[in-house]
Amino acid sequence: MFSSLFNLVFSAYEQFIYLPLFIEIAIVFIYIAVFATVIAYSVILYKRWKAYVEEKRLAFISPKIEQMITEQVLLNENLERLPVEEIEFDRAALDDPAFKHKWVRQAIIDIIIQYRRNFRGEVGELLRKLYIDMDLGKESFDKLKNIRWEIQIKALTELTKMDITISDVTILPLTNSLKPELRAAARNAYVQLSKNEPFKFFDIATEPLLPWDQLELFKIITTTKEISIPNFSRWVSYSDNKSIVSFCLKLIAHYDQQSAIPAVMGLLNNKDHMFRADAINCLGKLSAEQSESKLIEIYNTQPLICQLEILKAIGRIASGRHLEFLKNEFLYSYNFDIRMNAARSLIRHNTPISRAMVQEMLETSEEEAKLIIKHCQNPLIK
Amino acid sequence: MMQAIRNWIINSSVLESLGLFYQTVVFIYGTTLLAVYAILAVMSLISIRRYLKKNASVDYGIILESPLAPGISVVAPAFNEGVTIIQNVRSLLTFNYPKFEVIIINDGSTDDTLEKLITEFQLVHVEYAFREKLNCMPIQRIFKSTNTAYDKLLVIDKINGKSKADGSNAGINLAKYDYYLCTDVDCILDKDTLIKLIKPFMDQPTEVDPKTGEDRSKRVIASGATLRMVNSCDVDEGLLIRARPPRRFLPRFQEMEYIRAFVLGKMGWDLINSVPNVSGGLGMFDTEISVKAGGYDSKSFGEDMDLITRMCSYMKSNNKRYAVKYVPLTLCWTEGPTTLKVFGRQRSRWARGLAQIMSIHRKILFNPRFGRLGLIVFTYNFFFELLAPLIEFGGILFYIYLIITGQINWPYAIILIVFVYTFSVMITTLALLWDQLSFKYYKTWGEVIGLCLMAFLEPFLYHPLILFFALKGYFNFITNRKHVWGNMQRQGFGNQKKKTEPKPEAPPMPAA
Repeated sequence: MFSSLFNLVFSAYEQFIYLPLFIEIAIVFIYIAVFATVIAYSVILYKRWKAYVEEKRLAFISPKIEQMITEQVLLNENLERLPVEEIEFDRAALDDPAFKHKWVRQAIIDIIIQYRRNFRGEVGELLRKLYIDMDLGKESFDKLKNIRWEIQIKALTELTKMDITISDVTILPLTNSLKPELRAAARNAYVQLSKNEPFKFFDIATEPLLPWDQLELFKIITTTKEISIPNFSRWVSYSDNKSIVSFCLKLIAHYDQQSAIPAVMGLLNNKDHMFRADAINCLGKLSAEQSESKLIEIYNTQPLICQLEILKAIGRIASGRHLEFLKNEFLYSYNFDIRMNAARSLIRHNTPISRAMVQEMLETSEEEAKLIIKHCQNPLIK
Repeated sequence: MMQAIRNWIINSSVLESLGLFYQTVVFIYGTTLLAVYAILAVMSLISIRRYLKKNASVDYGIILESPLAPGISVVAPAFNEGVTIIQNVRSLLTFNYPKFEVIIINDGSTDDTLEKLITEFQLVHVEYAFREKLNCMPIQRIFKSTNTAYDKLLVIDKINGKSKADGSNAGINLAKYDYYLCTDVDCILDKDTLIKLIKPFMDQPTEVDPKTGEDRSKRVIASGATLRMVNSCDVDEGLLIRARPPRRFLPRFQEMEYIRAFVLGKMGWDLINSVPNVSGGLGMFDTEISVKAGGYDSKSFGEDMDLITRMCSYMKSNNKRYAVKYVPLTLCWTEGPTTLKVFGRQRSRWARGLAQIMSIHRKILFNPRFGRLGLIVFTYNFFFELLAPLIEFGGILFYIYLIITGQINWPYAIILIVFVYTFSVMITTLALLWDQLSFKYYKTWGEVIGLCLMAFLEPFLYHPLILFFALKGYFNFITNRKHVWGNMQRQGFGNQKKKTEPKPEAPPMPAA
C-alpha cells in the first residue's frame, strides 16, 4: 500500500518538475491558497465556538459567584457590628470546589472589581478582604511576573483596583518601561498605591508622558482621595523631562498653586515655543498679575501661538492695566486670530472702562471689527 | 473572410509582441500583486493584534470628564436630507465626548432641510466672525440654537457648491477646534467614534530637538476607521441597534469588499505608516495641517484621497514627520447602493478620481523626496490600482485572441484561472478572519457564513462589474466627460422601499 502511494506521489512529482516554471508556481500557490482558506474558516469557526462556550460557562458560574459575594459581603451580618478586619468569612463557601479552576478565579476577580466600583466604604473594604482571603492576590502577583506586558498591565489594574500595595522595587522599574502602555499603567498604579511619595516617579522618569497618559494621570491625581498634593513647581524648575514639566503646568493651574508662579515664569525664556505657550497658558489660568508686564514685554518677539496665549492670559488676569495694548492689537493687527483674541480678552475684563472702550470701538470701527465684537459678545457663541 | 481575419491575427507582429508581453511580464506583474496582497495580509494581522493588545486595558471613559480632552469639530455637509436630517443631527449630538461641536452645512438644499433644522433645534441667525481659510461657495447665514441643550450645534447655510468638498471646506473654515471629524450627515456613527479616533493623536510622544527647540515629533495628521453597510441593520432614531450583513447581493458584496479594504488593506498599510487614504465617510484630521494643505479640492473626484495626499506632501515638503493611523473597529455605517445604476456611477467616479489624483500629483510618483508617499503609496496605487483594470482588460482580450486562434493551452489556462481564483478567495477569507478576530459584529453563524460565501461568488459576479465601471471611469477621465451627480433622496432608516444615491465616499481600495 505504501509503495503504491509512494509511486503515485513520485509520478506526480515527475510530471510536476517537467511543467513550465509559471505553472509550477501556480500549482504551489493553489495548494497554499486552499490550505490557508480551509485553516481560516476553521479558525473562524473555532473562535466563534470558543467565544460561545466561554459565554455559556460564564453565564453558568457568574450567578454562583454573585451569590457567594452577596452572602459573604453584602448581606454579612457582622458588617455593622465588627471592624472589617475582624470579620471572618464562611470558609466552606470560599473553598467551594467550583471556585478552584483558574478561569473561575479570574471571573471572581473581575466580579469583585465590578462590585468595588459600585461599593465604597466598609462594603468596599470587605470586598477587598474577600479578595485577600481567597488568596486572589496571588493570581494577580503571578500575572505581574509574566513576560507578556499586556498580562502585566492586567495585574497592575487588578492590584490597583483592590488597593494592594506593590513594592517600589517591583513597580518603579516598570514606570520607565520602553513599552508605553505598561509604563502608563505602572505610573497610574504607582500614584494610586504609593501612600507616601506618589509622585516619586516624576524624579526618575526618562520616557515621555504621552498626552493620553497625562489624561489618565490627571484623572487619577484629581480624583484619588488621601493623596498628598505636592508643589509641582519643583519639577517645573528641575525636571529634564519636558512632558513631565508640561503635565505639571496643567496640575499647577488645576490646583491654583500661586507659589509656583516664579518657576512658571522661568519657562518664558525656554527655546521651545510650545513649551512657552503652555507656560503662558498656565500663568493666565493662575491669574498671575505679576507676570503681565513680562508677557507684554516679550509679546512682539513671540510666534503666533505664544502671542495668542498672551492675549488670552491678559484677558484671564484682567487687571485692567493693559486695555490699551489689547485695543491696539484689536484695531491694528492684520491677523484675524489676534483680533479675535484681543476682542475676547477686552470683553472678558467687563469693567466700566473696558465696556466703554468696547462700545466706542463698536461705534467707530470698520465692519469686520464690529462683526468680531458682536461675535465675541454673543452668549450663544462660546 | 473569417479565415483571412484569423490568418491576419496569427501573423500580426503586434499581437505576437503583445502575446509575449502577456506571457511573461504580466505573469510577473500578477504574481507580484498577489504577493503584495499576501504581505499586506500578514502586516494587517500584526497591526490588528498590536492595536487590540495595546487598547485592551484602556479605559476610554476616563476622557469623558477630563479637562485635558482636545476639542473636536464634527463637520457634516447636508444636501436635501430633509427626510432624515433631524434624527441624523440628534445622533451626531449624542457622541460620548466632553468637548465637541457639530457643524452642519446646509449646502443649498432645495428641500426643507434648513427649515426643519431651524424649527426643531430652535435656531436663530447669529453674526459670526470667521476667516475664510479655505475656498468655498459664499456662506449666507450662520445659526446657533437658543436652547442650551443644543449649544454644541452650529448650522451653516451656504450656496450649493456641487460637491461635498465645498461643503466640508465651509465647515472647516468655522471649525474652532484643533481636530475635525469629517463625515456624511446620513452615516450612522458609533457613539464612541470621537474617543476612538482621537486616541491615535494622543498616543504620539512629543519630541523636541534639544539644540534648536524644533518639534521633531511624529505628528498624527489623520485617523480613520472601518466603514460597513447599514442596509439591513436595525436602526432606531439614528442609533444602530443590531448589525447584519446586507440581505441583497450587491450591498453584501460591498460589505465584503469594505471589510477587505479596511481591515486587511488599510490596517496593513498602517503598520508601515503608508495609509493611502482616509475615507470621506469617516475621518478625523488635524485642522491646522488640513488648512495648510489647502483643504478639500471641490473639483476632485476623489477629494478624500486628494486631501490626504496633499497633507502628507505638505508634511514631507516641510521636513516634518507625520503619521496617518487606522483603527480596526467599525465606527461608521453607511448606505451602500442597491441598484446597478447608482453603484456604477459611484465606482466610475472613484476610478476617475484615482486617475485624476495620479495625474495631478504625478510629481510624487517614484519620487524619493516624498519618502513612503512617493515610493510606496503612489507606486502601489499606480501599478496595482490604476493599471490593474487596464492590464486585466488587456488580458481578457488576449485570452479571447488565443481562443479564436486556437493557440490556447487549456490545461495550463485552467490551472492559471484556478490559481487566481483560489488566491482571491484566500485573501478575502483572511480579511473576514481578521475582522472576526478584532470584533464580532455579527451575532449568528449564519450571518458570517452568508458573508463568507460572497468570497466564492465575487470573481464571477462582482469583480467583472468593478472592472467594467473602473474602465468606464478611466474613459470618462480621458474624454473629460461631465459627471452627473445623482439625486440623494432618502426616506429614513428602516424603510426598505427607499432608494438611495451613495455619498461620494472614499474608494476602499480593493485588495483582491
